[in-house]
Amino acid sequence: MEEHNNVNFMRLLSDESNRSTVSSDSCEYYQTEIFDQLPSIQAIRPEQDRQCCWEASEAYQGGPEMGERISHGQLSRGPKVKASTQPLKNMVMCIQGKRDARDRRKMQISSIGFWESWRRSQSINWKRGWAQMGGTLSGLLPWQRSLHTIEGRFGVGVKAYFVFLRYLVYMNILHCALICGFILGPTTFYGRSNSSEPLKFGGSDSFLDFFLGTGYLDRSPVFFGFYTRGSLDLPCLNTPLLYLAGILTIFFLSLILVVRRTTVGYKHTWMLGKRYSMNVSYKIFCGWDFTIQDPAAATLKHSFIRNDLKLFLEEQSFSLRDAQRTLGQRVRLFLLRSVLNLLVLSLLVGAFALIYISTKKSDDKSKHYWLVSLVLEYLPPITITLVNLVLPHIFRKISSFEDYSFTMQVNATLVRSIFLKLASLGIYLFFSLKTGHQQCGENMFGREMYKLCIFNFLANFCSAFLLNYPRKLLQEWYPSSLLSRLLGKQRFLIPFYVLDLVYSQTVFWVGVYYCPLLPLIGTVILMGTFYIQKFTVLWCCVAEQRMFRGSSSSVLFHFMLLLGLIMAATTLGFNLYHQKDTNDQNMRLPCGPFGNGKTMFNVTETCVNSLPSLAQTTLRYLASEAFALPLILAEIIILTSYVSRGRANQKAIERLKDMLVMSSSDKRFLVKQHTTMLRHQRNPHRVRSAAIEEDVPPPPL
Amino acid sequence: MGTTASQLGKDLLSEYQELTFLTKQEILLAHKRFTELLTKDEKELQNTRVPTERILTLPELKSNPFRKRICHVFSTSEQKDGSLTFEDFLDLLSAFSDSATLEIKSHYAFRIFDFDDDGTLDRGDLEKLVNCLTGETDETRLTRDEMRQLIDNILEESDIDKDGTVNLSEFQHVISRSPDFVSSFKIVL
Repeated sequence: MEEHNNVNFMRLLSDESNRSTVSSDSCEYYQTEIFDQLPSIQAIRPEQDRQCCWEASEAYQGGPEMGERISHGQLSRGPKVKASTQPLKNMVMCIQGKRDARDRRKMQISSIGFWESWRRSQSINWKRGWAQMGGTLSGLLPWQRSLHTIEGRFGVGVKAYFVFLRYLVYMNILHCALICGFILGPTTFYGRSNSSEPLKFGGSDSFLDFFLGTGYLDRSPVFFGFYTRGSLDLPCLNTPLLYLAGILTIFFLSLILVVRRTTVGYKHTWMLGKRYSMNVSYKIFCGWDFTIQDPAAATLKHSFIRNDLKLFLEEQSFSLRDAQRTLGQRVRLFLLRSVLNLLVLSLLVGAFALIYISTKKSDDKSKHYWLVSLVLEYLPPITITLVNLVLPHIFRKISSFEDYSFTMQVNATLVRSIFLKLASLGIYLFFSLKTGHQQCGENMFGREMYKLCIFNFLANFCSAFLLNYPRKLLQEWYPSSLLSRLLGKQRFLIPFYVLDLVYSQTVFWVGVYYCPLLPLIGTVILMGTFYIQKFTVLWCCVAEQRMFRGSSSSVLFHFMLLLGLIMAATTLGFNLYHQKDTNDQNMRLPCGPFGNGKTMFNVTETCVNSLPSLAQTTLRYLASEAFALPLILAEIIILTSYVSRGRANQKAIERLKDMLVMSSSDKRFLVKQHTTMLRHQRNPHRVRSAAIEEDVPPPPL
Repeated sequence: MGTTASQLGKDLLSEYQELTFLTKQEILLAHKRFTELLTKDEKELQNTRVPTERILTLPELKSNPFRKRICHVFSTSEQKDGSLTFEDFLDLLSAFSDSATLEIKSHYAFRIFDFDDDGTLDRGDLEKLVNCLTGETDETRLTRDEMRQLIDNILEESDIDKDGTVNLSEFQHVISRSPDFVSSFKIVL
C-alpha cells in the first residue's frame, strides 16, 4: 500500500507541475511561502545546495527525491518500508545528491535483508553486462565512425541518408543469404543437368563481357540460364521449386521489412503530427543539434534554423495571403498551373519516347566497331540515367514558378521525379520484354538489369570524381571566376540522392529473378556508393540551405522504397504471366530451371498433386477465388478494430489534456485560497515556514 | 573522495558507473579529458573546480550556443559561476550520453532553456532561446514582428493550460513526441 502511494505520488509529480505568471493575481500567488513548498515547484527547481545539512536540504530536493523523503520519514516510524526501485542514475540531481540518496537506500536495503540486496546487486551486474555487450555490438556495426563524422559536420538530415543506405546494404546481405540457401546451395550440391558444359573463361570471351553481361557472364551463375534442373528431383523438393521459393521469400521479407520501417516512422510523424500539430515547438525545443562540434557547422546550423523559421513564418503568411486571393487571381493562377503541368507532362512523354527510341536502337544487331557497339548496348541505360539526371532539376525550376509554398514545391518536385524514375524504368522493362525473343529471354532480361545496375554505379562514380570534385577544385582555386560563380556552391541534395538509391534498389528487386546474384552485386555496389557519397559529402559539398528533419524524411524515403518494391513485384508478376503465354505458343527455347516444357505453374501443380488429398483440397481452396471473400472480411474486421482503437486513444488524449488544464487551474485556485487564509490568520505556521526558508538559499537568478 | 587525483580508484569508478549512464571507458576518457584542463598545481589538489572559460575550450562545447547555460545548470558551485568539478562534468556527460532516458534529457533541456531559472519558460526565455538558435548578432536575429509571431505560435501549440508560459510537463509533452530529440540532445567525447 505504501509503495503504491509512493508511485502515484511520483507520477503526479512528473505529470502536473504547473506554474503560471500570467495574470496579476497569479503574480501574487507565486510569491507566497506555500508556493515554494509545492512538490511540482520543487521538482523543477535546481538543487544546488549541498553544503547545508541534510535535514534542511532534503525538503528541497528534486522530484524523485520527494518519494525518498517520504519513505525515509516512515523509516523512523516503522519497518514496513519499501525502497524506491528507480535506478539512481535516473534521478535528476548531481552525483553527490545521488550518493546521499544511495546512502539512505543502503540503510533500507539492510533492513530488507541479505537476499534482497544480493538480488539487486546481481540485477545491476546483469544490466551492466547487457549494456556492455550492447555497446560492443553497436561498436561493431559498420561505418559507425563515418556516420559520426558526417553527423557532426552536416547534422541529422544527411546522416539519415547514410543510415538509409546502410539499411539497404543490410537488406541486400539478407537477400544474398537467402539466395545462397535456396538457389546456390542446391545447385552446387546436386549439380546441374548433364547436358551443361563446364564453366571456364576463354574462347571469344573478353573483359568487356563484365560490362555487357554477355559471353562468360552469360554462362556463369550470375544469370537465370545457369540454374538448370539438377539431380535433386523429388516432386516437392526440386531445384525449380526451390528457386521459386527463394525469390518469393525475398519479396515477402522485403515487403515486411519496408512496411515495418515505414509504419514505425509514420506513427511518429504524421498520425499524431497532423492532429496535434507541434511543428514550431519542435523547431525551437529540439532545434539545436548538440552533436555539432565544428564551428563552421554551427554557423550553418544557425542559418538552417533561421531559414527554417523564416520559411515557416513566410508559409504562414502565404496561407493567409492565399485565403485572401480574389477570384480573378485564382483563375489566373489555376491557368498558370495547368499550363506548367502540361509542360511537365509533355516533358515526361518526351522522356518516355526517348527511352523507347533508344531501346529500339540498341536492339539493332548489325556489326559495328566494338566501341560503337558498346555504346549502342548501353544506349538505354545512358538515356534513362541522363533523363533522370536532367529532368528533376528542370522540375525543380518549374515548380518554383507555380506559386506554391516552399514545402509544396519540394514535394511536387519529389513526386514528379519519383514518377519519372519508376515509370521510365517500367517503360524500359516493358519494351525490352516485348522485343526479347532470343535463345534465352530470361538471360537477356537479366542482362539488361545487370547493365542498368553497373551503369548507374558508373554514373555515380563519374559524377563524384569527374564532375563534383573538379567543380569543388575550381571553386577553391578560382573562386572569383565567372564559371565558379555561375555554378555556385555544391549542396548535398538529399532527395535526389535518395531517389537514386530507391531506383537502384528497385532494379535489384526486378532483376533478382533473372539474375540471382544481383543482390550480391548490389551489396558491393551499395558499399561502393557509400564511400563515393561519403567522399562527395565530406570533400565537395557545403551543407544545403534547407534542413531536412531526420525522422520525417526517412518516412518519405521508406515510402518511396515501398513504391519501388510494389512496382518491382508488379513487373515480375506481369513478366511471369507473360512468359506463360509465350511458352504456350512455344515461341522461345526454354532455359534455366524451367526447361523441357516445365513452367512455374506446372511444377507447383506436380508438387500439389503429390500431397495427401486433404492438403490438396486446402491448398486449392486457398488459391481459389472463394477464399478471397473470407480474407477480405477478416482484413476489414482487423482494420476496423484498429481504427476504433485509434479513435478511442485520441479521445483519451483529449480528455487527458482537459484534465491537465483543469488540475492546473484547480491548483492555482487552491493556492490562492490558501494564501488569503494564511494572510488573514497570521498563525504560527508562518513563523515555522519562515524558519525553514532561512536555511534555503534564494532561488537562483 | 579523491575525485581529481591522477588515477581513478576502482571503487570510485564502479560508483560512477552506478550513478551515471556512462560506461567504464567513457568515464576514463572523461577523466583524461578533464585532467588535461587542469593546471599543474591543480592536479595535486582534490575536488578542483575548473572555471567556465576553461571548460568552454572543449571542442564539444565550443560551438554550442547554449554552452554557458549548460555549465551553469550542471555546476554545483555556490557562487553560481558555472565552474565544474569532475563529478559535475560526469553529470553533464551522463545527461548527454547515448543511454540517458528521455525523461532525464528533457528535464535538463528544460533547465538549460530556462534562462532566468524561474522554473518556467516565459516569453523572455523563449525569445532568448530563439536568439540562441538563430545567432546572436543583429543581422541574424529575427525581426521584432517575426519574433512575436513565432512566440505566439509556440505558445499556442505548447501552452496547454493557457497560462502564458511553458512549464516542465508541457515541455516534456512536446519533447516526447519528437523522435529526433534523443538523437540530437547528445554530447559524446
